[in-house]
Amino acid sequence: MSARKSDRGPKRDDGSWQLTEPHAGMAQGMVVSGYDHLPTGEALFLEFAWDRHQRGGAWLAALNAIAPVTPADGKVPRSVSLSLSWTGLARMGLDQRALASFPQAFREGMYQRDRMRRLGDTCDGQWSDCVIPTGPRWSGNTPQLPPEDPASVPPGQVDGTTPITVHAMLLLFTATDAEVAAWSAEVEQALVPQGVHVVHRRPIALHKGDDGIVREHFGFADGMSQPVPFDPDATVPAAAVPNGWNAVALGDVLLGHINGHHDIAAGPVVPIEPDGRTAAAGLPRHPRAGDAADFGLNGTFLAVRELLQDVPGFWTALTREAARLRTEDPHGGDVIDATWLGERVIGRCMAGDALRANGPLPRNDPATPDNEFGFYDDDQLGYGCPIGAHMRRGNPRDGLAQRPDQVRTLREAANRHRILRRGRKFGPPIADRMVDDGVERGLLFLAINTDIERQFEFIMQTWMMNPNFATLFDEADPLVGTATPMSLQAKPLRRKAHLENFVKLAGGDYFFLPSLPALKYLELL
Amino acid sequence: MRQTTSSIALEVKPDSEALLLSLIARLDRPDAATQPAMTKTDLLARMPSLHFFSLTVFPRGVFDPLFVIEANFDGPAGPFWPQLEAALGPQLRPMIACCKRPADGCGPLYDAVTAPGSRRDLAPYLQTRAGKPSVYHHGNRGMSRQRVVNEAALFSAVEAELDAAGQVAQTWRILPPADIHARLREKLLPQFAWLAQPAPARKTLGEKLGDWVRLAVLVLAVLVVLTLPGQIAAGLVETDRLVIAFVLLTAIVWGSLLRIAGPLEGTATHGRTNLLNFAWRQIFKILIALAVFFAVAMLVVTPTTVAISHLSWREAVIPSARALGWGIAAMVVIVLPALVLWLRWLERRDSTQDAPTIDEAVMRLMREREDHTPINHMAAMIPLKPGILRTVLVHVGHRGLHLALRVFIKDGYLASMRTIHFAHWAFVNNGARMMFLSNYDLSWETYFDDFIEKAHEGLTLAFGSGEGFPPTRLLIQDGASHGTLFKAWARHSMTVSRYWLAAYTDITSDQIERNFRIAAGLRQPTLTPESAAQWIVDL
Repeated sequence: MSARKSDRGPKRDDGSWQLTEPHAGMAQGMVVSGYDHLPTGEALFLEFAWDRHQRGGAWLAALNAIAPVTPADGKVPRSVSLSLSWTGLARMGLDQRALASFPQAFREGMYQRDRMRRLGDTCDGQWSDCVIPTGPRWSGNTPQLPPEDPASVPPGQVDGTTPITVHAMLLLFTATDAEVAAWSAEVEQALVPQGVHVVHRRPIALHKGDDGIVREHFGFADGMSQPVPFDPDATVPAAAVPNGWNAVALGDVLLGHINGHHDIAAGPVVPIEPDGRTAAAGLPRHPRAGDAADFGLNGTFLAVRELLQDVPGFWTALTREAARLRTEDPHGGDVIDATWLGERVIGRCMAGDALRANGPLPRNDPATPDNEFGFYDDDQLGYGCPIGAHMRRGNPRDGLAQRPDQVRTLREAANRHRILRRGRKFGPPIADRMVDDGVERGLLFLAINTDIERQFEFIMQTWMMNPNFATLFDEADPLVGTATPMSLQAKPLRRKAHLENFVKLAGGDYFFLPSLPALKYLELL
Repeated sequence: MRQTTSSIALEVKPDSEALLLSLIARLDRPDAATQPAMTKTDLLARMPSLHFFSLTVFPRGVFDPLFVIEANFDGPAGPFWPQLEAALGPQLRPMIACCKRPADGCGPLYDAVTAPGSRRDLAPYLQTRAGKPSVYHHGNRGMSRQRVVNEAALFSAVEAELDAAGQVAQTWRILPPADIHARLREKLLPQFAWLAQPAPARKTLGEKLGDWVRLAVLVLAVLVVLTLPGQIAAGLVETDRLVIAFVLLTAIVWGSLLRIAGPLEGTATHGRTNLLNFAWRQIFKILIALAVFFAVAMLVVTPTTVAISHLSWREAVIPSARALGWGIAAMVVIVLPALVLWLRWLERRDSTQDAPTIDEAVMRLMREREDHTPINHMAAMIPLKPGILRTVLVHVGHRGLHLALRVFIKDGYLASMRTIHFAHWAFVNNGARMMFLSNYDLSWETYFDDFIEKAHEGLTLAFGSGEGFPPTRLLIQDGASHGTLFKAWARHSMTVSRYWLAAYTDITSDQIERNFRIAAGLRQPTLTPESAAQWIVDL
């Protein structure tokens, strides 16, 4: 292992943070916790199939009786999180002005033609190889406007409509499988009379290994790096660790607070009506709109992507490609096998430690991989963690700096695009990574962010799918991107691996994760 | 190879705006019945020096619509306009007829080229109407289009050689970098004969000297103006009174400045750079510039003193030095701070736009056209803040920015970013508005977020004179740091790039420099082990 430079990283932080009151009581618990102590659960995707005479919020009252949404103010024995798509909010009868006050990305949805293109989900108007061949199965099915310039649309452009319409996503987190089975049946039973149907479901689990590490289905330690929000008025700790690698403004995680661009993360508004609904729900007056209440405060947005992982396909392809690389490198290729190549695809070793030229990055705490590192000081050229590795594209840290005096600025700039990841696996762990057992498995990717364009979409477009990321040429993310070559920096000469995509989008959309007062307001609709 | 950036801004007859838009749209979708199909490849072949070309119509508002023809090409402007006419003349002529007849001496020329059935050359009219940008930036300065394309082809060939499967591949990895270089050169030389020739200089010595001289003249001119108040006062007032006035004015200016220098409530962004610490970081350069100025100015002031005072040359030296000394002292301690005070006073009263209107249909149209290739185009129009100080600042500032970019940007990097191919600002509508056109890499979000996060001071300096800009403080603080607000303002300033022609759409500015480095290495018959080890990193 390489010797650890004592001055390499700035002051350490352990990544823990909390919201202070009143915000902790208003925000949903999922914002502050990945529910490590609740390893099982289920995601229920709901469609509102009620007739138009029904009150929009009645189902929330029914849900509240058996599965009340959990606030962010303490540890709970089981937890509920609820988010809504734009069509879900519209179906509940939210005021038109309120609907129009959501940001454009949320109003248009993930399958708006130009967004699909920018996210890499379509290429020349057709589904790319990052999507299952039939196209995604579910979404909010947000109505799409016709193109302003029809000539800009390629012939045969897919329209992004999915067979299943999802109006809301309910996440149940529990301690045991038995508990979640009983609870979700109970919830489903309670919702059916309200005209709310479960149209899609996925078990969501951590499946911690015996070593306490959560691994995604390919076998790599997952969820290694999370941003740590700070706000002088709403978090503990109140200020960022000086020069911290993961500090982000709370407004990048929760609406209504100062964001990374020094502005209040603007959320939706609802009109203040004489019926006193906003007051009853506890929605504060909006700071800018005199006649409206702040519907967004302490809410946020979720980018949701159900990603199917073809585990045997991934490892079989890596085995084949590793063999080819070995053949091309008779004098130095002995180390190359599927695991070696897979680790370079990710940028970390299987246990989660970042790669360096001389081996994994040494740990400060023997129990967990180190997360306080940059790339500029000891891996600028990518001899350890390749420049196009999934981890490096997902968060380049200071790796895009050209000179030492740019390191701080570049690290801070990268942190303006962070997302809080709350994804969980679905499907059972595979018994043998080389043998197809015919079972669907993957990741329900859940990214919390307040500015979908600056955070989730930026990461996808500018880092993950960018063919020119960090002066690479015609490459994409080796894990979730389209099939492209991947440069593996080495001496004397880089290797080039040819990789395919084995992580495919099967459904997803943008969801609004309301605060508890906002949910109360919806219940009163 | 020198490049030229030019734009022609023509006011549109309001009733002809729709026709103009449809004529532009037809360029991409020619009507086969009335117009021979001309592909972009055909057009680019007819304009071999062209890098990027765009047609934009800024919609009516306070002004009538404005039609803008933007061209970025190799070499001087003279030969380009006939090339443009040869390629697009029949299409451009009716577009120009949609524009107003110029009120200046160009009227008859306009009549001649727009008369029904006119066959009069268009190029002279285009040349006459072409404006000079106030600032332009060429990210890959000196790289001709042919060279960009040639070196990109070389890059592809290098990749193909290195990635050839089987036995060939095995041999590369056992060679040291210098031998890899030699073998690649040997293999590629037959296909790329130009590798045997020395590389043309990207910037000539004359260009570099010219840039330096222009910058020096500007700095000297500004110093002359700013030191004049002190010099005049020194000539008119005795030293003891001068000292009293100096102290009093200093106290007034600095007292007032300190009182209002702070941010208005809710607008502070806690950036790391302000005018004072920026100046402090440049203190040695500033002192040297002042010393040089003093020496040069003495050569002018002393004879002037002799001429107006009948003193001998020897006697004139001390009063001249005294006047200059007071001029410099007053500039540093009073005049500049007083200008900053004046600016801050204005800044505190600026109207900033909290919710710039963005027409969603226009926004969709822009987005429909963005991100089909790694290179994109944008066009923005910004009304300027009124008042003499703002007007002088923006004009002198643009001149300074332009020359500073020419002199100090050597590798295409603006701060830590190299995402611009060709960008320029130009004043239009008699200086009431400034236009910004850019051919940039990656998405619009990336382009703007990059500048907001990595060079917001420069962005505030460059755009802060625009109406509605987020609240600025002391010229470079806050402003664009309000990223969300700034991006909304920037989108609001933009309009659809109606037509865009690019000679290359997937070779980013960064990649051009990478290809350049690879080509520069391969032009060398041999490399030392050290330089080969450095060179091979780009492969």
